[in-house]
Amino acid sequence: MTILSPTSIDEAVAALADPAIQVLAGGTDFMVEVNAGHRRPDKVLSLRHIPELRTWEQLPARDDPAHVRLGATVTYTDMLQPDLAQLLPALAHAARTVGSPQIRNAGTIGGNLATASPAGDTLPVLAALEAVVEVASPLGVRDIPVATFITGPKRTALSPGELIVAVRLPLLDGHQEFRKIGVRNAMVIAVASLALAVDTRTRTVRCALGSVGPGPIRATEAEEWLAGTIDWDRPAATTEAPDLAYFGRLVAGAAQPIDDHRGTAAYRRHAIGVLAERAAAQAFGAGSAA
Amino acid sequence: MSGTVGAPVSRIEGLSKVTGEARYAADFPLAGLAHGWIVQSTIARGRVESVDAGAALQMPGVLAVVTATNAMRLQDVDDGELLVLQDQQVHYRGQTVALVVGDTLEQARAAADGLPVEYQAEPHDVLLSASHPRLFAPDHVNPNLPTDTLTGDVEAGLAGAAVTVDHTYSTPAEHNNPMEPHATTAFWDGDRLTVYDSNQGATRVHQALVRLFGLEDSAVRVVSEHVGGGFGSKGGARSQAVLAAMAARMLGRPIRVVLSRKQLFSLVGYRTPTIQRVRLGSDRGGRLVALDHQVVEQTSTVYEFAEQTAVFSRVMYATPNLSTSHRLVALDVPTPRWMRAPGEAPGSFAVESAMDELAEACGVDPIELRIRNEPVTEPEGGRPFSSRNLIACLREGASRFRWAERDPRPGTRRDGQWLMGTGVAASTYPARSAPSTASVSAQEDGSFIVRLTAADIGTGARTALTQVAADELQVPMDKVEVRIGDSDFGPAMIAGGSMGMASWGWVVVKACRQLIADIDRCGGVPDDGLVARADTADDIAAQADLVRHSFGAQFAEVRVDVDTGEIRVPRLLGVFAAGRIVNAKTARSQLIGGMTMGLSMALFEESLMDAEFGDYLNHDFAGYHIAANADVQRIDATWIDEEDDQLNPLGVKGIGEIGIVGTAAAIANAVYHATGQRQRHLPIRPDRVLSP
Ligand SMILES: Cc1cc2nc3c(=O)[nH]c(=O)nc-3n(C[C@H](O)[C@H](O)[C@H](O)COP(=O)(O)OP(=O)(O)OC[C@H]3O[C@@H](n4cnc5c(N)ncnc54)[C@H](O)[C@@H]3O)c2cc1C
Repeated sequence: MTILSPTSIDEAVAALADPAIQVLAGGTDFMVEVNAGHRRPDKVLSLRHIPELRTWEQLPARDDPAHVRLGATVTYTDMLQPDLAQLLPALAHAARTVGSPQIRNAGTIGGNLATASPAGDTLPVLAALEAVVEVASPLGVRDIPVATFITGPKRTALSPGELIVAVRLPLLDGHQEFRKIGVRNAMVIAVASLALAVDTRTRTVRCALGSVGPGPIRATEAEEWLAGTIDWDRPAATTEAPDLAYFGRLVAGAAQPIDDHRGTAAYRRHAIGVLAERAAAQAFGAGSAA
Repeated sequence: MSGTVGAPVSRIEGLSKVTGEARYAADFPLAGLAHGWIVQSTIARGRVESVDAGAALQMPGVLAVVTATNAMRLQDVDDGELLVLQDQQVHYRGQTVALVVGDTLEQARAAADGLPVEYQAEPHDVLLSASHPRLFAPDHVNPNLPTDTLTGDVEAGLAGAAVTVDHTYSTPAEHNNPMEPHATTAFWDGDRLTVYDSNQGATRVHQALVRLFGLEDSAVRVVSEHVGGGFGSKGGARSQAVLAAMAARMLGRPIRVVLSRKQLFSLVGYRTPTIQRVRLGSDRGGRLVALDHQVVEQTSTVYEFAEQTAVFSRVMYATPNLSTSHRLVALDVPTPRWMRAPGEAPGSFAVESAMDELAEACGVDPIELRIRNEPVTEPEGGRPFSSRNLIACLREGASRFRWAERDPRPGTRRDGQWLMGTGVAASTYPARSAPSTASVSAQEDGSFIVRLTAADIGTGARTALTQVAADELQVPMDKVEVRIGDSDFGPAMIAGGSMGMASWGWVVVKACRQLIADIDRCGGVPDDGLVARADTADDIAAQADLVRHSFGAQFAEVRVDVDTGEIRVPRLLGVFAAGRIVNAKTARSQLIGGMTMGLSMALFEESLMDAEFGDYLNHDFAGYHIAANADVQRIDATWIDEEDDQLNPLGVKGIGEIGIVGTAAAIANAVYHATGQRQRHLPIRPDRVLSP
């Protein structure tokens, strides 16, 4: 087995011209597949020694709104650092629920995206924030919105030879959160997860669901209903609380859950509605943040 | 000099373990070592038609492909799981059908992964049900107990009872999953076999290898100095030891075979799923007039293992009419075996849940209900108890847990999204001793060496035995070296059945007393030292016919999310009466470890049978959930001072298993108290909380 360890993105992209090469970031999905016999790499391209991929920056507000650009090998532990967590609170919430400290130190956002597990914890956050994935190949760089990047369970729009180099997320003003249900308190794959982001400038609500469908699902009908119900001009705490249970039902209606050994479809649909109602209550209920 | 027995002594080998110096079975470097990798069947029933080793043998580093056609012939033993590669029959999915040996582990594994195996498959039968047409009554249940018992007339008792409870409870298959997987490094020196093996008792592995390979006792040595847990799954020899020894013989090289986590799910045993019907009849005050406990469980077609699930009912509560029964079906599944507190762990879940239901039905406090049903002698058989302090445990626990302040009404305490509740359950486990041998030698320099084939599977046994020997010899602990885990030291009990200390401690005490007498007689330690040997076989045979059991009370507090059904366990308390405690630190670890495993059993652990393929489908830690640190919040174990001079010279009862007994029932009872919904099936998953 050959292991390439380039130190720049250009070198890495050039190496990807070889169709047999497989990208390795933190290895927390990759090595599990190797151990299970589902993946037999002959050539591995390790991203570990490419410093550019491990950095993040706040892009000046030349675009509207301002963005944060996360390199593909930014880890969960990085997402939990105060400066980044403050800019992207829902992403930090999600990162906090991932695996164990060891997994959070090794696992990366690029790996979570490329794996595209229906239970990937950053995916609902990225979907809710309408993040954009930057992908590079010898042909150049292209942007893929998360909504089209994930094409199905463990399937992405990534073509052979393409490398995820970064993810761009908008900076929103308004409450954000991530919630997850699993059977135990840590080291657990989500049975249902949900991200909610409020954008007070555009007066929109974004809500995306995880583990209840083939990929992250946007609950657009529920989002629009909630945005239309809220009195955006007055602090939520002083207005009559909107019917958040109805919001929960709309969200549950958007889910496409299946039965598996982690939970029944009926339980997942019920649970996602509960998460939605609770997230909305946090955002807009009495004493809420918005 | 004051003794060390009872003190919270840190484990002696702790430093060598955390620095990596301690060697486990797969850690021994040997010149010329080769590695074996097991190939498992992909059908659940049928025959291996052929194994095409051609391509594998061409792969780099591959030394051999051992199959039923070329495997060394073994002598017959009564455990079919050990007669590995002796015929073409496939009894369950995951059974060993070949061993690929390579210079490196990776080479062996790469060849094993692609090895073409052709099967003649037959339809399989892998699902346990209470109405299975092939249910039968085994001759006896583990270890050698009656299958069924009957005292009085249970049907008449139930018919005349003022209050009855009649429910079916179930527990799933659960896998032991010790931290260290089963592993063996084997080599031959002429006709003498040495194995470094991960097990709970080198004596039993030694016996198995002696028989299988037709050797003299003295021609086999099993070394197991450090072992990373077993929970029953290493109670006897497992097939990796046989494969390593066989391949080493065939190839004339040292061979190591280590199981993967996934392989543990089919090759080393697990806890049978159980379906248990419990019927209780009582007067209005909750005094039992009848108890019936009927168990249905599974075994494999390779080896009959009948778990003693209903024996819990034979000792717990006074009732004039008592019956217990076990029915078994042999399915095309891996062989279930011991898993921490086999029998008592699942049995107590059913009976202690039913007792809570009876308390509710009678309007009697669950602790008071148990006190009202306290027997004077063993309910089944009538023999006296050597000591029985269940009530003391319940009372001590009640006061520590502030049980008196509890409002018995279910489903009434709410804190935001959480419903809160508390529950209690009783526990018990037999306290037995088994014959063992040991030697103690006095060295010239005033130090002592104790040798016995005990096992320290992470329990602290080595440390506790050092305390025992030091006290007997009246020297500080650093003057005593206890060497264990070597079959050359002579036969001894395994670390199993909570019998380790009660068996090894006894023989160590006996050997030390013998040595002191010898030293006195010689007027000191002669220049070439002095050795005393002891064997407890006669002492144990001469024991009075009493019922010897430890008892305990388990208390749990839970919070249940009213909308999602998620359960948290903020508090667990166990109070135990387990005779003398030799080491307060390692004993506490054993007890809270058992309770944590009980919490895990209550909420998480469940091996799911894939009916189509006939395999446990969640065979890794991503799918098989064990409690994580974050799941265990306030957990405490304590014990009452219990003196019992009818046990063994140390007065110990054993603590390895009682911690898991009753925990799941205490949690299920607390969930009922929180929600008003009874949970009769483990694990108590969130979806079951919402729709039981
Ligand atoms: C014990 C354990 C617990 C876990 N818990 C969670 C959890 O709670 N939540 C969760 O969401 N996940 C969890 N995971 C899964 C995993 O940690 C995450 O999906 C992680 O983000 C993967 O990132 P990685 O850097 O380790 O990816 P790798 O394993 O290195 O790679 C994964 C896949 O992505 C590809 N890839 C990686 N980087 C790139 C790139 N830049 N461009 C193109 N392709 C790329 C690889 O080729 C591979 O196909 C867990 C895993 C383990 C082992």
